[in-house]
Parts: sequence; structure tokens; C-alpha cells
Amino acid sequence: MTRNFAAWPIILLLTVLSLPLFIMYLFLLVDTFSNTAPGSLLPNEFTLEHWRFLIDPTITGDVWKPTLTTVIFSASLMIIVVSVSATAGYALSRLALPFRRFVLSGIMVMHAFPSVTLIIGVFLVLQFAGLYNSLTGVILVKASLMLPFGIWIMKGFYDAVPWEIEMAGVQDGASRFTVWRRIILPQVKPGLLSLALFAFIDGWSEYMLPRILAPSSDFEVLSMYLNTVSDPNSSTYNFNIFKSVGLFYTLPVLALFVLFQNRLMNIFGGGTKG
Amino acid sequence: MVLLLGFFFLPVVLTSVFAFTNMSTATGISGGSYVVTGNLLRSLKDEGLDAKTIDALGQSSYVIDQAGLEKAHAAGVDARFITEIAERLKDRSFTSSTAFERELKTLPSRPTRVRDLKIAAGAFEQSVLNVRYASRGEMEAALTHMLENPPEGAIEKVATASYTGWTWTTENFKNLVITPDTWRIIGNTVFYVVLTLAFNVLVGLFLAITTFYLPPAGSGFFSVLWLLPRITPVVLYAVMWKWFTWEDGFVFNIAQDLGLPAFNYMKGSVASAWTVVILVNGFVGASFGMILFSGALKAIPVQQLWASEVDGASRWQQIRYIILPHMRWPILFVTSYQTLSLLSSYEQIWLTTNGGPGSTTTVWALEAFKTALNNYTGNLQYGLGAAMALILVAVGLILSIVYLRLFRFDEMMSKPKIEF
Repeated sequence: MTRNFAAWPIILLLTVLSLPLFIMYLFLLVDTFSNTAPGSLLPNEFTLEHWRFLIDPTITGDVWKPTLTTVIFSASLMIIVVSVSATAGYALSRLALPFRRFVLSGIMVMHAFPSVTLIIGVFLVLQFAGLYNSLTGVILVKASLMLPFGIWIMKGFYDAVPWEIEMAGVQDGASRFTVWRRIILPQVKPGLLSLALFAFIDGWSEYMLPRILAPSSDFEVLSMYLNTVSDPNSSTYNFNIFKSVGLFYTLPVLALFVLFQNRLMNIFGGGTKG
Repeated sequence: MVLLLGFFFLPVVLTSVFAFTNMSTATGISGGSYVVTGNLLRSLKDEGLDAKTIDALGQSSYVIDQAGLEKAHAAGVDARFITEIAERLKDRSFTSSTAFERELKTLPSRPTRVRDLKIAAGAFEQSVLNVRYASRGEMEAALTHMLENPPEGAIEKVATASYTGWTWTTENFKNLVITPDTWRIIGNTVFYVVLTLAFNVLVGLFLAITTFYLPPAGSGFFSVLWLLPRITPVVLYAVMWKWFTWEDGFVFNIAQDLGLPAFNYMKGSVASAWTVVILVNGFVGASFGMILFSGALKAIPVQQLWASEVDGASRWQQIRYIILPHMRWPILFVTSYQTLSLLSSYEQIWLTTNGGPGSTTTVWALEAFKTALNNYTGNLQYGLGAAMALILVAVGLILSIVYLRLFRFDEMMSKPKIEF
């Protein structure tokens, strides 16, 4: 395209608009490797001391245990969401189920539903079920909150698979299950992969549910750990350490994102954050 | 499906059920028992229960009966003293502790210490005050025993009022309508949703269009930068804003160097608190908008743009007459979707300003959450919180039905082509 306009005013405007973000993320990175004199803006020395929390549990408490908990949390979340969405999405997309229309619109409404308003109900359900303050409970709740989204996405992917492939399989004498397992599932693999990634990242970032539904410190996830470190009233309060922990916490998400950027883009459009 | 039912459907049902109860930490979530307390009597008096009944309930009487004697024995009162009480005062009753104690002091083998005397007197005390009864029947029996000729309906009234468990009520909704705070919070919510939405859509659109026109290097940089808020975990994102706006934070230091008023921008003044809240949520939302709009922009047939350039259209004309008409549905979608998620969003606000200063930046969802699950007084009002959540759910439901109509749900519902 030709350049029949001046680019610089727009770039300038864009820069001004992006400045807070740019500064925040730049300093997030820089401050973890440097010290800044109080009251000044620019760092004056290079140091690795803010990263010592990785090996020295006396600084902010053991960081590896929450990390392990978070991995368990995100991985089980991923497994539940992917397996249920893969089957339920297929059923809703391809099978003549009774109440299909009703279920489908129900799921659509649930997806559009303000899920946080359910938290009070969820809290009480967990209390009744005796799962309050347990990791299992949080995993189940988080998974079911993600399911409408996952099912909806998977239904979209299944809808895109041509009927002819499936009909050919049935013609050759395969059962409906075999067709799904051997023919359809490989077709929606990209969808499954991005859903799995999305579930993992979402689980990794989750903060509210563990905080509200499992407040005990026996199985802190990283987000709670991070929030404890960042509490201005705590004795270990230090923005630079906090930033190192934060960066440590975010790195896996960033890495996954960079690796699978294109796959994630088609699913990130429909997330649930404000 | 079980999961969905358990953690989606059940909470919905429970929320609507609890909305009609006065459940709180004080009442517990299972049943309760029946207790008459001093506070209760006071509030009953305010409600106009007659003074005689109240006095009778508040007083304790002293009756010398077998149960009392046994209790005195268990309390370690001298055996000779007990026998004397049994012989001389059997089956008499006193209406006040002073009268009873005076009578006790006339007995020959009375204890010398006043404390011991009081213990002995206490064993014969009969009162409904602060005694727990498991069922309504027991409570009513005790009340009948205490009151000699109570006025009509008084016993029922006291028994009902003495229940400590939760009861069915529509008070929650009434209270919500009456309280002036409610309207302020509604105002806050509308203000917050409208402004943040405007920020999201406009900035998202602006970003999408500018990155569309910029050379790849520049646009790549900006789109990655604007993607970051969306993939950064919310805790980190919130505290980065704290670092940015808090005392001794980045803006604070700059403002100080420039001689501008420097204070805690996140909580220091109402205007700056709102700015922060809207920016915090707006940046996340704008990156959502940007992703969607960029996708939609790429779907516009590029020939139309070429044709317009041949015809000598300026950038502005291109945007106004080609791009924006194409973007109608994405814009509508982002608007509707974001309205829903903004209405119910409170995480960022909770983690940043926490509704402060005062409750100037408290929105409906945050208030519901705080009422039910996270308040300072420690009395978590599940019932009231559930009622607030239910209202939010109702609003969300109506909006999503409208949006479903708007987006032609039927088109997504093609019939299956294999029938087994």
C-alpha cells in the first residue's frame, strides 16, 4: 500500500498510549537484575541478588513447593478440560441427542454467564461436599468453570470437520466411537492442543479460586505465594524481589505463549477476562 | 456433565435459594437452636412487646426443688447446708436473688464466705436467659413455665425471635432497595462499565487499525506489548500497577521531580483512583479488543482498499467508509461480551484499590463478593451476598439472551446428518 499519510503523529500517539505498559514491563525486567537508589528512577548497579530466592528459602519461603502445586493444579485442570470438552463437544456437534438445542443454548449462556457471581454458591457447595480447603475442590471448580468455554470451542472445531469423512468411515463399517477416535479426533488436533495450552495457562494464572476456596497455606499455588510476597505489610517486602518472583511465575506462560503464539491466537479471542 | 451440574447448576440454584434467607456466619449454614439473650429482649422491647413479659423473661427466679438441690450438691455446697435448705425452704420460690440470699443468711449452717453463698443460691436459679433449646417445643415449654399469664401470641413471638439459625426471608431485597448505598454502588457500576467499555473498544479499535497500517516491525512491537496485559497473571499485573502508582512508585517519583502533587494515586483521591481502576481494566480489555479487531481487519478483502486508493481516498476516508462498516459485527460482539464480563469483574479492583478510598470505587460485583465472603467484621452475610449475586445473574442473563438473539443463535444449530 502506498503511504499517503504521515506515520509519525500516529506512532507518537501510540507510544504515549503504550507508555505505562512499556514502562511497567521494562522495569519488571530491569529491576530484577539491578538496584536503584531510593527516590531515583534509574537503576545504578547490576546484581543477581534478587534471584537468590530460588535457592535460598529464607528470603521469601520455599518457592519450589508452590511451583509444584501449581504444576499439579494446571496439569490436572488441563486433563479434565481437554478430555471432557473433546467428548462433549463431539456429542453436541454431531449426535442427535435429546434436548440438544437446550443443552447447547445452556452452555452458551453459561459461557456468557458472569461466572464470578457463582462463587458464593460454589463456596457453599464445597462446604456441604466437604471439599472446602482442598486442592481437589479447587481443581474441580476451576475445571467446571472452564468447561462451557472448552466445549463451545471444541464444538466449533468439530463443526468444521466435513461430514463426508465421517460418513465414509461409517460406510466402511466402523462404529461411531471408532470413527470419532480414529478419524475425527486427529482432525481436531490443533483445537485440542490450543485448548490444552489455554487451560494450562489459565490454571497457572488462577488466583481467586484458590484464594477463596482453599485459603490454607498447605498447598499454596504460585499466585498466592506471589501475593504474600508482595504484601506491603510483610517483613520481606521488597519490590525487586517481588518482581523477580513475578517474572519467575510468568516465565512459563510467556514461554508457552511465544512457542505457540499462532495456535493460541485463535482461542485467545474468546477468553473470559475483562 | 456431572461436574457442570455440580459446580455450575447447583451453585446457581443455591445462590437463588440463599438469596431468600438471612444466612450469615452468625446463623451458620445448617440448622440453629433457640436462645433468649439480653440483646434479643432489648430488640423485642423496641418492637413493642409488653414490658411485663420482658421483665419476666429477663428475671431469674429461685425455686427450691429437687433438681436445684442436686445441682447444689454437684456444685460442692456443704451437705449440712443443703439439708437445711431442703427442710426449711422446700417448694418456696423467690423472685430476686437478694430476697433469696437474705433468706439463706438466716439459716444456722450458712457458709461464712459470700462467694460460697452465691454459689449455693445460683444452683436454684431458674431462667430462660442464655439457655440453648434444641427445638421450638422445648423453648415454648420453658417460656410457658416462666411466664404466668402471658399476653396473646407473646410466647410464639419470643420463640420465633429466639431462633439462631437461618430463616426464609425477602428482607435481603427490601434492604437492598432501601439502603442508599445500593444506589451509589449501582451508579459506580454503571460509571465503571461504561467508561471501561468505551476505553476498551476505542483503544482496541485504534490499536488494531494503527497496527494494521504500520510497517510490520512497528506493528509487531506494539501488538506484542499490548498482548502482555492479557497473558500476565492477574496478581502480577495488579501489583505492577501498584508499583506504578503507589507511594514511592514510578509516577510518584516523577511527579515529585516535576514538582507536581505526589501522593498515592491508587488510593489517594477519588479521581485518580477511578483513573487507575479504569486503566487497569481498560488495558486488559483493550488487548482483547485488539486481538479480535485485528483478526477481523485481516478478513477485509484487501482489493477494496486498493480500489479506494486508486480513487484517491485518504486514510481517514478508508477507515470511515470501508473499515468501520466491515467492523460492525466485531465491534458489537466486543461491546456485548465486554459488558457482561465487566459487570461481573472485580478481581482487578479488589487487588488494586479494593473499592477505596472509602467505597468510592466499589462496584456491584465487588460489594457482593465482600458481603458474602470477604469482609472485615467477620460476619459473612451469605444470604445478602447471594441476593446481590442473584441480581447480577439476572441482569447478565437478560443481556446474554438479548445478545444471543442479536447473534442469530439458530445459525449455529444445524441438524446432525448421521442419525445413530
